[in-house]
Amino acid sequence: MSISDDSGALDYHRAREIAAASGSPDAASAVLAVPPWRFAVATAVTLALATAIHLVGIHGEPATQLQLSLILGAAFGFVLQRSRFCFFCIWKDWLDRRDARGLLGIVTALAVGITGYTLIYGAWLPDPSGTRLPPTAHIGPVGPALVLGGLAFGAGMAISGSCISAHLYRLGEGSPTSPFALIGAVGGFILGFLSWNDLYLWSIVDSPVLWLPRHLGYGGALLASLALLAALAWLLLQTGRPVQEAQQPPSDPLVAVFTRRWPAWLGGLLVGLIGVAAYLRLLPLGVTAEIGSRSRQLATELQLLPSRLEGLDSFRGCATVIRDALLTPNGLFIGGVVLAAFAAALAAGEFKPKLPDTGHVLRGLIGGALLGWGTVIGLGCTVGTLLSGISAGALSGWVFGLALLLGTTVTLKLGRRLGLLG
Amino acid sequence: MSFLPRLRRSLAAFAFTLVASSPALAQSDALVSTDWLEKNLENPKVRIVEVSVEPGLFERGHIPGAQNIVWHTDLVDTVERDIAKPEKFQALARKLGVDKDTTIVLYGDSNNWFAAWGAWVFDIYGLRDNVKLLDGGRKKWELEKRPVSTNPAAAKASTFTVAEPNRKLRARLADVVATVEKKSDARILDIRSPDEFSGKIIAPAGFQELALRAGHIPGSVNVPWGQAVNQADGTLKSPEELKKLYANVGIDGSKPVITTCRIGERSSHTWFILSRVLGYQVANYDGSWTEYGNVVGLPISNPAGTVWGGK
Repeated sequence: MSISDDSGALDYHRAREIAAASGSPDAASAVLAVPPWRFAVATAVTLALATAIHLVGIHGEPATQLQLSLILGAAFGFVLQRSRFCFFCIWKDWLDRRDARGLLGIVTALAVGITGYTLIYGAWLPDPSGTRLPPTAHIGPVGPALVLGGLAFGAGMAISGSCISAHLYRLGEGSPTSPFALIGAVGGFILGFLSWNDLYLWSIVDSPVLWLPRHLGYGGALLASLALLAALAWLLLQTGRPVQEAQQPPSDPLVAVFTRRWPAWLGGLLVGLIGVAAYLRLLPLGVTAEIGSRSRQLATELQLLPSRLEGLDSFRGCATVIRDALLTPNGLFIGGVVLAAFAAALAAGEFKPKLPDTGHVLRGLIGGALLGWGTVIGLGCTVGTLLSGISAGALSGWVFGLALLLGTTVTLKLGRRLGLLG
Repeated sequence: MSFLPRLRRSLAAFAFTLVASSPALAQSDALVSTDWLEKNLENPKVRIVEVSVEPGLFERGHIPGAQNIVWHTDLVDTVERDIAKPEKFQALARKLGVDKDTTIVLYGDSNNWFAAWGAWVFDIYGLRDNVKLLDGGRKKWELEKRPVSTNPAAAKASTFTVAEPNRKLRARLADVVATVEKKSDARILDIRSPDEFSGKIIAPAGFQELALRAGHIPGSVNVPWGQAVNQADGTLKSPEELKKLYANVGIDGSKPVITTCRIGERSSHTWFILSRVLGYQVANYDGSWTEYGNVVGLPISNPAGTVWGGK
């Protein structure tokens, strides 16, 4: 019995549902029983990660930032894998089965994020009413281009079966689609850069950058956001169908942490906290800066890009400025995500590598390209623009989130009608 | 209250009085050391202001009690190409709680580039002798593992009144052209890299604001700004070394000096050294190469022989 995606990314949750219903050998056992080889590999990966953290702390430049990026990346990857914090899977759970648990997890993450950011803002920019924005927070322009970016990103999620952050952790689970989705994303990034100047002059340059605390004050923005999230949660609880939790015997804490799937609210709580920690110490959480920057570097080397991308680097969001360094904070962050997710998947028995078939490759490449394009135009993904943006009090986060839900729903329904998507 | 804490407190107060009564103890007029600053963190007559290039650096940890200036909006006019107008500077200084009787310590990242730019703008508006740079800036403070804080500092607003802009500290295009035409005996010191100076490149990679021609102002001499700094900790070299460094290219204080670079920000670092540390008569030309190199019909020296930045 596998709960990894045997037959393509879209069957991910169906497989998980079956697994939960019948109980995989690991999930049902009351004590942690990891086969020796898996335990050995998971331990080796964990030790390698720990060594890398140690070495980066000594040799990195700047050591503190690089080391902390790797640590937070590892924490993020572990939490994503253990709680299956995959935006698309969560949305599909709701669409198909009115299972509200995952969405409540996202609501939790956003509530924690907004509260934490407000706490930090109070220290960094005591008065929000001026012309200044809090440093580095992902507060982007709101306009038609952002909606387009969100729609494309949503379509990419439906086709490839995940958003970019989930593809990263599912890379660690051995997903056959994710490698191609990430390759496709590189292509999408390059297409995004190619269309940037036109979109910038058409709409983005005139789009207002709307930061809620400037208009409502910190208290007002916090209350309004939390009230909206509370209303959403209430709505979800009212309309969601109660889900039969698989009967599981009481188990020891090790099983609860390393084998069983974490409840989504716990994942959301931790994702929110990691986002706040990242903003406090490094930069807002984001998973696309490194991929975007490397794509831009590649396209520049191949002389595909115009010599100037107007205004792109002046916006807040997942920056794609080309960096010369081999090790960058965001590169180490996503490295940590993948490795920690791999170790977590091994320990949980959820590392199920599979040879990709044509469907995996095509869905990955096409969906990934849409993800990449949407990320450039939306200045981030589900993590950088939606999570870090909404946490930051940016209207752009909400708009991007709504657009991607619309894009993903329409694409999924259309794809199913045409028999292309499961 | 027990005796010991009280004793400690009164000793601290005594030490504080000593320090406070001689705020520039063992310091040059222009610089304060990291040691001195740490001892004066609580001194009510000392205001610490960070002027860094990188956004978010201040907020994620600054010298305890420091306030922040964002150079590219606070110290410039955001519409015209100009430094902040007098009213804007006055409002900023009042908000920071600084005045002529406070010791203002500026510091920042990148070897105090923008802190020095700050000192230049402060000087233009009448805050000169009480403005100091932290020798070594952020770099040295961090290297020495001194504490940083993320708490905002509460500063009581001052009633500072801005002075008439001191024109002697700022060179304009006409001053530079007068020098080129030998109608003035000022010496022009260009602090850009040798490749920019010779005209091999228009600007270092990655800079968007450029000139249409490469090269330098005829008659100017070149001392890259970094040569004035000890690379290990970002501190300035000793006054003797600095004197020698500039004397080598004929800048010895006997004639007025104009410092220049690409947009006038790196050159304010050298302006600070010549003006405040060595006491020469110096004006900073903030129009710099992006103004001079773009003006139609002005003579240019271009030893590399590039045309439009190429051959």
